[in-house]
Amino acid sequence: MNTQLPFIIPILVSALATFLVRILPYYVTFLDRLPPFLSRSLRLLPIAALGPLIFPGVILDFPNRWYAGLVAVMVSSLIAYRRNGMIIPILSSILVTYLLLL
Amino acid sequence: MYHRGDLQERQGTDNLLVMKAENQLTFLQGCLEGAPIFVGYFPTAMAFGLVCRDLGLRIWEAVLFSVTNFAGSGQFLAASLMRSGSILLEIFISVLLVNLRYSFMGAELSRKLEKGIGGIARVLLAHGTTDEVFSVAVLHRLPITKPYLAGLELTAYLGWVSGTAVGFLVGMVLPSALQMAVGVTLYAMFSSLLAQEFRQKGLNVLIIALISASLNSFLTLALKWGVGYSFVLSMLTASFLGAWFITEEEHTA
Repeated sequence: MNTQLPFIIPILVSALATFLVRILPYYVTFLDRLPPFLSRSLRLLPIAALGPLIFPGVILDFPNRWYAGLVAVMVSSLIAYRRNGMIIPILSSILVTYLLLL
Repeated sequence: MYHRGDLQERQGTDNLLVMKAENQLTFLQGCLEGAPIFVGYFPTAMAFGLVCRDLGLRIWEAVLFSVTNFAGSGQFLAASLMRSGSILLEIFISVLLVNLRYSFMGAELSRKLEKGIGGIARVLLAHGTTDEVFSVAVLHRLPITKPYLAGLELTAYLGWVSGTAVGFLVGMVLPSALQMAVGVTLYAMFSSLLAQEFRQKGLNVLIIALISASLNSFLTLALKWGVGYSFVLSMLTASFLGAWFITEEEHTA
């Protein structure tokens, strides 16, 4: 673990960032008047976030078997595409990773 | 207080079932409508509890995480950045951007919320804004009351916080051989989200994610950028490109 700070500091920093975006619309009104291009871009942020959250970490995190994480996310994506809910895709991918790392 | 005429007009157009039962949205109704959210949040929060344990957090830190943040993707992101040893500014900016959508949801919610809610009540109600709470609450044509929104948010909140604690405890009894594999939880979660977005919104979702994933891989591997800044730049670039090419397609369609 290369985090020097106690965990509570980043946890609270993350909480502060989250709280600011939540409380903002209750005190300002400019959010309704953003240019359409900007507001479209902002709405795409959560989707655009998913790419870098998966790559390249999913390959680098399993240095001994680089494909283990990759196969696991392909399995979870396929299951999640076919049905709602998170727990079955997640559990399946843990199982797949476990088998590949044996 | 709202103007009486305005209220009657709104009620006239509201769902008949709600009309017969109540003239106003109550705390109990909020809790009932929050129950499906509780059921959905619990397992996801369990996954978060597992991730926290994997990261080396203690149980009270994991629970504090969910209590103070109450934001699925933001928390998973923060955890992922903590694992890679990002600095605080990177965590702050990244989490802010990922959660920016709550500002737009809050803007819409605050328009439909009954007037005269201030101080601590307003702060607490704002803290409870999530994607699911928002999409359930805005379906009502009646003005959203304070007790209703409190019930809805509290139910969702309890699912999230208790799920985190249970997930952490489950992690403690997992056989050690499984512990290594649990590292994949985060990625499984993100890829599942992506697959579900893809099903709902189509190919554009995959293109945007592919752009941001490629750019992030390039910045971190080839240019050796820090994970946090690389994440922010990749995310912003892909969002702007996406907003640009999605309109182009609408024009030609």
